Amino acid sequence: MSAPLPELLTPAPAQAARPGGRAEGRARALNLRIWLPAGFLIVLFCACFFWPLVYPVPSPVGGSILNSGLPPLSPGHIFGTDPVGNDIFSRILHGGQVSFEVGLSVTAIGLVLGGALGVTAAYWGGATDTIISRVLDVLIAFPALVLALVIAEGLGPSELHVIWALAVFSIPAFGRIARGATLTLREQTFILAARLSGTRGSRIILRHIIPNIMPQLLTFSLLGIGVVMILEGALSFLGLGIPLPEPSWGSMIAQGQQTISASPDLVLIPSAFLFATVVALNVLGDALRERWA
Amino acid sequence: MSDTLLDVQDLRVTFGRGGREVAAVDGVSYTVYAGQTLAIVGESGSGKTVGCRAVMGLLPPSAAVTGSARFQGVQLIGLTDDQLREHRGANVAMVFQDPARSLNPTMRIGTQIAEAVRTHRRLSKAQAKEQAVELLRLVHMPLPERRCEEYPHQLSGGMRQRVMIAIALACRPRLLIADEATTALDVTTQAQIMELLLELQAELGMALMLISHDLGLAASYADEVIVMYAGRIVEQAPAARLFEQVRMPYTQALFEAIPRLERPAHTPLPVIGGRPPDASSRLQGCSFAPRCRRAADDCRAAAPPLAEHEPGHRWACWHPVPGGPDAD
Amino acid sequence: MAVAEELRPGAALTRRVVSSPGARLAGRRLLAAIPVLWGVTFLTFVVMNQLPGDAAQELLGANATPAEVHQLEVQLHLNEPFWVRYGTWFGGLFHGDLGTSLASGQNVTAILGQRLPVTAELLIYAFAASIVFAVGLAVLAARKPNGLADRFSMVVSMIGLSVAPYVLALVLVYVFAVRLHWFPAIGYTSLTQDPAANLRSLTLPAAAIAFPLFAVYTRLLRADIVEQMQREDYIVTARAKGVPPWRVLVRHALPNSLFGLITLVALNLGALVGAVAIIEPIFSLPGVGSILISSINNHDVPVVEGIVVVFAVVVVLANLLADVLYATLDPRIRYERSAS
Repeated sequence: MSAPLPELLTPAPAQAARPGGRAEGRARALNLRIWLPAGFLIVLFCACFFWPLVYPVPSPVGGSILNSGLPPLSPGHIFGTDPVGNDIFSRILHGGQVSFEVGLSVTAIGLVLGGALGVTAAYWGGATDTIISRVLDVLIAFPALVLALVIAEGLGPSELHVIWALAVFSIPAFGRIARGATLTLREQTFILAARLSGTRGSRIILRHIIPNIMPQLLTFSLLGIGVVMILEGALSFLGLGIPLPEPSWGSMIAQGQQTISASPDLVLIPSAFLFATVVALNVLGDALRERWA
Repeated sequence: MSDTLLDVQDLRVTFGRGGREVAAVDGVSYTVYAGQTLAIVGESGSGKTVGCRAVMGLLPPSAAVTGSARFQGVQLIGLTDDQLREHRGANVAMVFQDPARSLNPTMRIGTQIAEAVRTHRRLSKAQAKEQAVELLRLVHMPLPERRCEEYPHQLSGGMRQRVMIAIALACRPRLLIADEATTALDVTTQAQIMELLLELQAELGMALMLISHDLGLAASYADEVIVMYAGRIVEQAPAARLFEQVRMPYTQALFEAIPRLERPAHTPLPVIGGRPPDASSRLQGCSFAPRCRRAADDCRAAAPPLAEHEPGHRWACWHPVPGGPDAD
Repeated sequence: MAVAEELRPGAALTRRVVSSPGARLAGRRLLAAIPVLWGVTFLTFVVMNQLPGDAAQELLGANATPAEVHQLEVQLHLNEPFWVRYGTWFGGLFHGDLGTSLASGQNVTAILGQRLPVTAELLIYAFAASIVFAVGLAVLAARKPNGLADRFSMVVSMIGLSVAPYVLALVLVYVFAVRLHWFPAIGYTSLTQDPAANLRSLTLPAAAIAFPLFAVYTRLLRADIVEQMQREDYIVTARAKGVPPWRVLVRHALPNSLFGLITLVALNLGALVGAVAIIEPIFSLPGVGSILISSINNHDVPVVEGIVVVFAVVVVLANLLADVLYATLDPRIRYERSAS
C-alpha cells in the first residue's frame, strides 16, 4: 500500500497571492470545504450507527438464497442483494460501522501513544530521542502492509486484531509528526522562558507544547483516518481483516470482484462509499490545516 | 537638453491585503534623462523599490498599478507581460540587492549571462558564450572564462554583484536601475561597485537610477536626488544643491544621521525617533508630522503638496528648514 | 611526479570522485543503512516466527497426524531453535543463498529470479508514468496558480489521494477491460514474447499503482514550484532579463523544485511492496506480490524474508540514488569549495 511519509503525505497547497477584495470569497469557499465534508461525515456516521436502530433493516448476514442477486432499487432492498442473498444497504451500513470503529480507534491509539512517544523523544532529547527515533524509523521503513498482513495472519481475523495490526504503524507515524512539531516548538522563546522560570518539564509539555501541536496533530489525524480506512479495506479485501460473513467495505469489494462483469454495483457501491468517506476526510483535513495555519 | 528617457507621472501602487487596500506608492512623478544619474532615497517602506518594480511590471498580481510611465514615449503601465518583456533587459535593466539570492544557484554563471543575451538577440550558444565572457571583462572580472563555468556560490559577494551587472548590461540598456545594489556589500566593495557603475555609465552612455536608503551614497554619486517618504516624494534637487540647501526636515534629519568623523568621539548619533507610518494607515496630514521637530498644527491637518518652490528644487513641507548651509 | 599526474587524468578524476563529498556522503549513508536493513530482516524473522502453527502444519493441512507434521518439521529444519534457524539463514545471505521455499522446495533465489523481473517492470512502468505526468501537470498548474489547470490538478490530486489502489484497480478493470476491451483484465505476456502485449497487460495494474503516487507527487511539486516562483529572488532576476514565462518556469523554477519530489519518490519505494501484493493477484501477474500473501499464509519464512530483503536493499539503493541526484542538481552539494 502506498503510505507515503506522514509529513509529506499531503503538503499544504501554496496559496497564490490574489487581488484583494476576494478575501471574503476565499473565506466562504474555505468554510464550504470545512462544513460540507464535515456534514457528510456526521450524516454518514449517524446513518451507519443509528439508522439500523431506528428503522428496521434486513440483517447484514444470513440472507436467504432465494433473494440472491437482486439489482439495486428492488423493493425492500435499495441497493439490491449480494449472491448469497444479503441486503447490500444493510451491509453498507454495518460495514461503515466497522470502518469508523477501526479508523477512529487506530487513529486514537496512534495519537495518544505515538504522540506521547514523539513529544517525549523531542522534549527530553539525548539518548531517549535517539532510541525512540531509531525504533520509529525501523517501524516506518518496514513495508506497511506486510507487517499488517503478518500480524493479522498471526492473530487471526477479527476486528480487534485489525486494530492492533494497524496501530503498529499509526503509532510511529504520529510519533514522527509529534516529534517534528515538538522540536520546532521547543526552540521558541516562550518555551525557553518557561524553562528558565523553573517550570517542570511535564507541566511545560502539558500546558504549552501539547496545546500548540494539537492543531497539526488533529489535521494529521483526519488524513490518517482515511488512510486507516483504506488499509482496513485492504486487509479485509485480502481476507485477513474482518472475518466473513461480517460485512466490511473491503471484503464486499473483494466479493464483488468475482462477478464484476455481471453485477458491477457489488464492487461500485462499497467503493463509492469508501471513496466518498476518504475524500471527505481529506478535504476536511486540508481545509482545517489552512484555517489553523 | 538631453532627451527624456523615462517620464513617470502620478504613479500609484496599491496592494489588496486581507480586503484592505495598502498604498505603497502614492502619486509619484519624476523624469530621468539620458545619461543622467538619479538617486531615489528613502527608508524601508517608503515605496522606492515598489515604484521601480512597478515600472518594469515585476510586481506580484496582487498589486494594482495606475498612473503613467513612459519610456521614450512608450507607455509602460498597462502593457501585457509579453509586451513588457521586449523592454525588460533590452531598454531597462535592473540590478538587485542580494546577489546571493538573485542568481539561480543551480545554473552556471556563463549560462545565466548568455541567457540574458539570447533573450533579445538571435545568437548561437557559442556566440552568446563569447558575449558572456566579454561582458565579464567589461565589469573587470578576473579570469572571465573560468568564471563562466562556475556557480554563484563559488563567488564572493562583490563578484556576484559584478555578474548581476554583467547580466543587466547584456543588451546595452538605455536605463539601468540599481535597487540597493550595494547594500549587501562591505564598504570597500561598495565603493568598487559604485565606481564600476559610473564608469560603465560613461562608457555606454546609460542613465542610472540609484535606489538606496543611504543618502550619503546618493549625494556622492548622483546628479539628482529624490527623497521619498511614506510612498510620496518629499524633496527633490540636484545633489550639490541638496547638500547645501536642504529644506525638508526629513531630509535634514537623514543628513544628520550620517556618521561624521568631525564630530567628537562618543557623540550620540542623531537618530530620527519613531517609525515610518504603517502603509495601511495613511494619516490625513503630512506623513512625517509625528516624527518632525518642526511640525505644527497645519502639518497635521493637511498634507503639503510637492511644488517647485525654487528653480530645480522641489519640496513638500509647510515649514521647511530655512535657507543656508545645513547645520553641522 | 607532476608530469606523471597530468598524464593520468583518469586517475585524478577517480580520486576526486571517490574522495568527493558526494561519495563520502554515499558511503556514510550506506553504513547507516545497514543496521536498518538488519533490523528489518530480523523483525520479519521474529514476527514470522511468532505466528502460531508453522509451515509444516500449513502444508499438510488440518488432517495431518502429529507424527507426519513432526516428520516434515525435521525435514524442513523447523525443529531447530530460533537462533540456529536465523543464523543459518543469515549466513546463507553472504553466499547469496536465500534458502529454500518451505512450500514448494524451490530455491528462493530461483523463485525471485523468475518473479522479480515482472514486478520490477510493473513498478518501473508505474513510477515512470507517475513522475512524467506529475511533472507535466505540476508545471501546467504552477504556470497560473488558481487558474484552470491548477484547480484541475488539485481536484485530480485529491481524488488520487483518496482512492484505494484495489478499488481503482477494479474500477479500471471494469471500465477498460470489461466494458471497453482495451486492455486485458488478467494475464501477463512477457516482454521478450510480445512487447506490445506485454505493455498492454501491465498498463491497468501500473495505472492502479501510479495514480495515487501521481496525486501526491503533483501536489508536492506544484507547491514547491509555486513557492519558488513567488518567493525566490532569482526568479525576479530572470523576469527582469525579459526571459519568457515558460522558460522561467521550466528552466529556473523546476530544477530547483525537484528536491522534495526526489526525497518522496525514494521514500515511497519501500511501501510499494504492499501495493504490489494487492495489485498483482487482482491481475494474476506472476510477480513477487502474488506469492507474498500465500507465502505468509503458508508460513513460508524463506520466501517472505527473501522478498523483504530485496525490497529493503532496493530502498537503500534508491535513497542512495536520491543523494546522487541531489548532488547532480545542486552544485552547492557537489562542490566543497566555498566562496573565494
